Amino acid sequence: MVEASSVEIRKVNKYYGQFHALKDIDLTIPPGKVTCLIGPSGSGKSSLLRCINFLEEYDSGEVLIDGQLIGYETPGGRRMAPRRLRQMRSTIGMVFQQFNLWPHMTAQENVAEGLIRVRGMRKPQAMERAAEALTRVGLADRMGNHPSRLSGGQQQRVAIARAVAMDPRLMLFDEPTSALDPELVGEVLNVMKALAAGGMTMVVVTHEMGFAAHVADQVAFLEAGELVGVDVPSRILREPEDPRIQSFLRTYRERNVI
Amino acid sequence: MFSLSSFLDAFWPLTMAARYTLLVSGLGIALGLVIGAFVCVLALSKSRVWRTVAAVWVSYLRGVPMLVQLLVVFFLLPVIGIDVPAIVGAVVTTAIVASAYISEIWRGAIMALPKGQTEAAIAIGMRPRDSWTRIILPQAVALSIPQLINELILLVKASSLVSVVGVMEITRASQAQAGVTFRPLEAYLAAACLYLAINLCLAALGRWLEHRMAV
Amino acid sequence: MDLSIFTEYGPRLLAGFRLTIICWLLGTVFGAALGLLIAVAQRYGGRSVRWALQTYIELIRGTPFLVQLFLLYYGGPMIGLRLDPLPAGLLGLTIYGSPYFAEIFRSAFRAVPPGLIEAGRAIGMTELAIVRRILLPVGLVSALPALINFSIILTKETVILSIITVPEIMYQTQYMATMTFTFLEGYFTLALFFWAFVEVISRLGRRLERRITRHLIERT
Repeated sequence: MVEASSVEIRKVNKYYGQFHALKDIDLTIPPGKVTCLIGPSGSGKSSLLRCINFLEEYDSGEVLIDGQLIGYETPGGRRMAPRRLRQMRSTIGMVFQQFNLWPHMTAQENVAEGLIRVRGMRKPQAMERAAEALTRVGLADRMGNHPSRLSGGQQQRVAIARAVAMDPRLMLFDEPTSALDPELVGEVLNVMKALAAGGMTMVVVTHEMGFAAHVADQVAFLEAGELVGVDVPSRILREPEDPRIQSFLRTYRERNVI
Repeated sequence: MFSLSSFLDAFWPLTMAARYTLLVSGLGIALGLVIGAFVCVLALSKSRVWRTVAAVWVSYLRGVPMLVQLLVVFFLLPVIGIDVPAIVGAVVTTAIVASAYISEIWRGAIMALPKGQTEAAIAIGMRPRDSWTRIILPQAVALSIPQLINELILLVKASSLVSVVGVMEITRASQAQAGVTFRPLEAYLAAACLYLAINLCLAALGRWLEHRMAV
Repeated sequence: MDLSIFTEYGPRLLAGFRLTIICWLLGTVFGAALGLLIAVAQRYGGRSVRWALQTYIELIRGTPFLVQLFLLYYGGPMIGLRLDPLPAGLLGLTIYGSPYFAEIFRSAFRAVPPGLIEAGRAIGMTELAIVRRILLPVGLVSALPALINFSIILTKETVILSIITVPEIMYQTQYMATMTFTFLEGYFTLALFFWAFVEVISRLGRRLERRITRHLIERT
């Protein structure tokens, strides 16, 4: 078991030109727990997730990984040295909505690439490690395939293996099942559940309320760039106090009643 | 009337001359790839000055007819003290013109890659150099192969213009043949057939490469 | 360099430029018309028609414009086709451009949503009416950027007509250069002039494109 990271988000603001995308966000993500970010589209949940590994630059406030500021030397100060930023990012795994597998490499090569280039591993060891990671997500028989030969669910599992093989202490998921056909969602969620059970810190932007209800330790609801509420799923999803959360959940239920 | 024997007779001298057609277009694209890579780097640079330099280069070379550029180079070289055979001027012009189109082909291929490709590399902590050599370039080059082959076909056709400065390639040789035999129809038809044969081969090569590169 | 040569040869150059524009416009119009004909024939013609037209397209696209011109101008008389330089040049431009135009129209027609055609059939329109009222109007608008783009490529090809002695701008520049021994100056000035000319018509083309698409957006 590798140790799990914690994330501390303090007074984070983000602008796209005039548009105020994130407004004074405060959120604590405890180590070894699963935090789901939910809310309507355009609410800023993906932007917030991407601020955690500084793929998106926040304009003010602090994002601390295990107490260490990411992106800037000091709060509001100079940008962090690229080498240090890369070093921090290499311990944060990220899984994208569109998988973002590299199409010119096989599944195994996709997973091994980071181990070779970032961890400086030799190719045979990296490939062996990649094979183990792919076996863990149930793709032992698909290692030699290029992404175009894999289903969406398989591609996303390769992407998870690619992140996990780096031994991250924190995993970020940006709507990992939104691009999948409904029947392929389950296999990806199962891999994520197994990761959660292993004690990984996970931050998951999702529309899968079932996953949020059963797997998350806490759920944060965002709307229009504001953090409206954070609580354990049983409270925030069953008896929310805020009318904005109530109306979001009502719409969600209406849409999912057959 | 059409004379089959003089049509067939024209092929031997024209095939000999085809070496120069291939030399001009082949060297032209090879050098064009190198210069085009530099121009593409400038076009993608963060500095506004370099981007403008690249934009002017591309706009001039794409805006001016190749025949005019050829004559500019042909008359410019002796003025700046470079005394070389006409074929060198022909290759230089071809390469420079090709560089403008090639840099645009590469820029287009790089821009066409989904942003997520580099994001995945950044998120995993890769150095920019690695994400270029391992992720961006292999894909962009594969993506650009059909267009590069197409560019080569265009250059083979454009190389007919260097006949104007006296390079003995297919077109010039067919003019000479027509002058000797007084059979222009047969001579130019033979030239057309030869160009067609070269270009069909290149197109087939392109399809084969595209098929091989497709993952 | 002595600028007075430009005043002396100005009228000639101007006449040459006028002819360049005429060749360009006529070459575009005739070439596009022939291309459109080919594209429609390919869409509605039988297998043999399609095959013959595809062969024509490959033949023209596989050979240099200069060789096509030589065939037409010098080879033509041997089979009874005797043309002056200008008509030969215009015919050459038309033939040279037609396969590219045809491909542009063909892919534009293919981009017309089949539902639009089916809707026409569903209300009982004849095939001809569908072509005139649906396929052409919708296809032409989406073909416009590529048409403008290729038309600009054609401007540059017109200088090749000087080689068969069509007195357009390249020919006149060559004349001036030969008479006054101002080769480099003459050709470089022509290069700059062409650069400016192509930039101007590209901008005009983009504006035209925007206007026509805006019109479309307003109506739908």
